[in-house]
Amino acid sequence: MAQITGIFAASHTPVMLQFPEAIPAADREEIYAAFRETGKAIAASKPQAIVVFSDDHLHNFFLNNLPAICIGAADQYPAPVEHWLKAEKRVLQGDAGLGAYLLSSALENGFDPSFSMELTLDHGVLTPLELAGVARDVPVVPVLFNCVQPPMPTMRRCYQFGDWLGRALRAYGALERVAILATGGISHDLATPRMGMVNEAFDREFLRLLEAADGAGAVTFAAERVHEAGNGAEEIRMWLAAMGCAEGRPFRTHYYRAVRDWYTGIALGSWASA
Amino acid sequence: MMKNWRQMMPTAEAYWLDKALYELHHRPDDLEHYRRDPHGYLARYRLTPRAKAAILGNDVAALYEAGVNPYLLRAHCIGMRIPEAVSLAALRGVKEG
Repeated sequence: MAQITGIFAASHTPVMLQFPEAIPAADREEIYAAFRETGKAIAASKPQAIVVFSDDHLHNFFLNNLPAICIGAADQYPAPVEHWLKAEKRVLQGDAGLGAYLLSSALENGFDPSFSMELTLDHGVLTPLELAGVARDVPVVPVLFNCVQPPMPTMRRCYQFGDWLGRALRAYGALERVAILATGGISHDLATPRMGMVNEAFDREFLRLLEAADGAGAVTFAAERVHEAGNGAEEIRMWLAAMGCAEGRPFRTHYYRAVRDWYTGIALGSWASA
Repeated sequence: MMKNWRQMMPTAEAYWLDKALYELHHRPDDLEHYRRDPHGYLARYRLTPRAKAAILGNDVAALYEAGVNPYLLRAHCIGMRIPEAVSLAALRGVKEG
């Protein structure tokens, strides 16, 4: 039976790599240091694989066939897919066996994710792994939630999916140690008249609900208030899925800053270990 | 209050705009083809005249108002090297109804 060695969450934005100089150097270093600390915590938990909850920003998927949730089942994942992203091209190692296990377990337990055996991952997965310094070390299993094009899976469904996935991981016999990293959010808004808006009050209330381990409250808040926090805030689906994995344990916020010139409320944190 | 999405289900016009912008930045050589022959490149898509004009004119506000997916619009602005200040000013000039 596998142990979930850690459940982590971190914002992602391509701007962190694309326009680093858009914010003061001291702020940038503080944020990069927060990612390195998360990377150290992930590495210290010695996972044999990391299940990464993220979203595909319309690169692998398009509106002609757009899964609500997709589980990666490949043994490697080239990245990044964005031709314009300032990031070293690399190949992330995958764990196809764990991906296949999660897929079949999902289907047997009332969930219907799609699967892919060929994904070129985007900044959503690569940026946090790169900044955390763990992109080369541990095989990944991407689980991609549609947060980028309505209609999307509900906040409640993403929480429930995470609740199931945590139980499935703990029942997995082929590995002993698996970590979970949820990436995205919190408030940000892209390519709209509100672009650049960061809703710090929304972010702090969402984090408070995670810290209070108030699953029902977090789901309701997310569903009812996400429009106040921008289209990028739809990515809190991944945070809710991670919360679902945590069996009701509280979240601890390691870092938060409303970074207006990176257009994002950037937070990092983790759930207490079992 | 403004919603996160202009369309909760894309119109056909938005779909074909999305398709053109998606392929432009994902298919090898398409960006070069578009730069060389923009009218010829766009002829392959079922674009309305105003949709085609919005792409050809790098009209960020019109693309937004037509319902282009924000991630495709953002990637298009970066990929076409539309200056950040220009795209931001265009978007912020849109009056939400």
